[in-house]
Amino acid sequence: MIQVLIAEDDKLCRTILEKNLNKWGYEIISTEDGKEAWRVIQEKKIQIAILDWIMPKMDGVELCKKIRGKKWDEYIYLIMLTVRSKQSDIRKGFAAGVDDYITKPFDTHELKARLQTGKRIIGLQNQLLDSQKKLQEIATHDTLTNLLNRYEILNILTDEFHRSLRENKPVSTVMLDIDFFKKTNDSYGHNVGDEVLIEVASRLRGTLRRYDKVGRYGGDEFLAILPGCDLKNAGRIAERLRRAVCKERIKTEAGQLYVTVSLGCASSENQSYKSIEYLVKFSDKAMYHAKNMGRNCVIAS
Amino acid sequence: MINNESSHGNSPIDYPSALARIGDDESFLEELLDLYKMDFGTKIEGLQKAIEQEDFVSMQELGHSLKGSSANLSLPFLQQAAVDMESAGRDKNLDNARGALGSLGQEFQNLQEFLSAKE
Repeated sequence: MIQVLIAEDDKLCRTILEKNLNKWGYEIISTEDGKEAWRVIQEKKIQIAILDWIMPKMDGVELCKKIRGKKWDEYIYLIMLTVRSKQSDIRKGFAAGVDDYITKPFDTHELKARLQTGKRIIGLQNQLLDSQKKLQEIATHDTLTNLLNRYEILNILTDEFHRSLRENKPVSTVMLDIDFFKKTNDSYGHNVGDEVLIEVASRLRGTLRRYDKVGRYGGDEFLAILPGCDLKNAGRIAERLRRAVCKERIKTEAGQLYVTVSLGCASSENQSYKSIEYLVKFSDKAMYHAKNMGRNCVIAS
Repeated sequence: MINNESSHGNSPIDYPSALARIGDDESFLEELLDLYKMDFGTKIEGLQKAIEQEDFVSMQELGHSLKGSSANLSLPFLQQAAVDMESAGRDKNLDNARGALGSLGQEFQNLQEFLSAKE
């Protein structure tokens, strides 16, 4: 149901609006001045607002500018309702950000039709927001594992690195690579390789703390970001990740496979790491060190 | 019961136009007219006070408000008197304001008589 805010100080006009909007199936919240309307708009999810121009405390134009000056989750369709019908007034209303303009005394049939237009615009706007959300999801996530993709995990690392400098708290990274993954792919085919990647991703995600982030960095490489973590704690978390991956065999179409990972940690507490490139590079180096140490282990030094 | 009598020059209310505007609901129109009458009383008192105190801003505001509600219910003569009051307030013309107040009173009485004759 569409929720409509009415801001109108004239009781007669408000009654006409309320009665008809009710009849047409809108859910209504009525207010008598601009200030009260502004409070309601911030608290409730309003989709259409019908604003009188001249109201006590805050007039319709000012209210309209305030609404347009703020970012909302969903578009609010604004209809200005007023006795003012001069060209210059109408232009002023549109300049303040109204979508439609109805002069008083208004005809209810016309109002009904104009509200329909409002509904249609809101529908289109919501479709646009939905597809924006979907595009954002596609642009920042890996389609196979649904983890963050390389682009996004590096973006987040940049933000977290700057935050760690501001707040003077460390941030750590864990580079993680599946052991003998090429062999899995070569022996069982890419479908099985994909099954392994999906399950490893899910185990990593399920093991990390709520505010940690993990992304697919490359083919079978994953990068985790641990905000507020020093190297010692990063080592502990990496060890938890290692166990989570190898504790149970992974079910695939080629049977149950025993999968292990090698992990390398780096932390910004090392003051010589002056950018995220250092963190990535040294956690990668530590990960190769883990490979050389015989795999299925963590290096955090 | 309100008759759907077509408007003519002397009728204080244009029924067909008012009814069409509010959605062709006669009992709702009656309800709105009652609301108008109550509101009118308050506003006339406000206007009398404003004229005594030479408060031109209030004259303009109250005139504006009465203009809107009169137009909503298709009360052409009351609407015209309200327009005159709004202008008098804007022009800071006390004589015109007194004249407009008199017209408002007279037109309101005409409306009352017209409505009770219909009942």
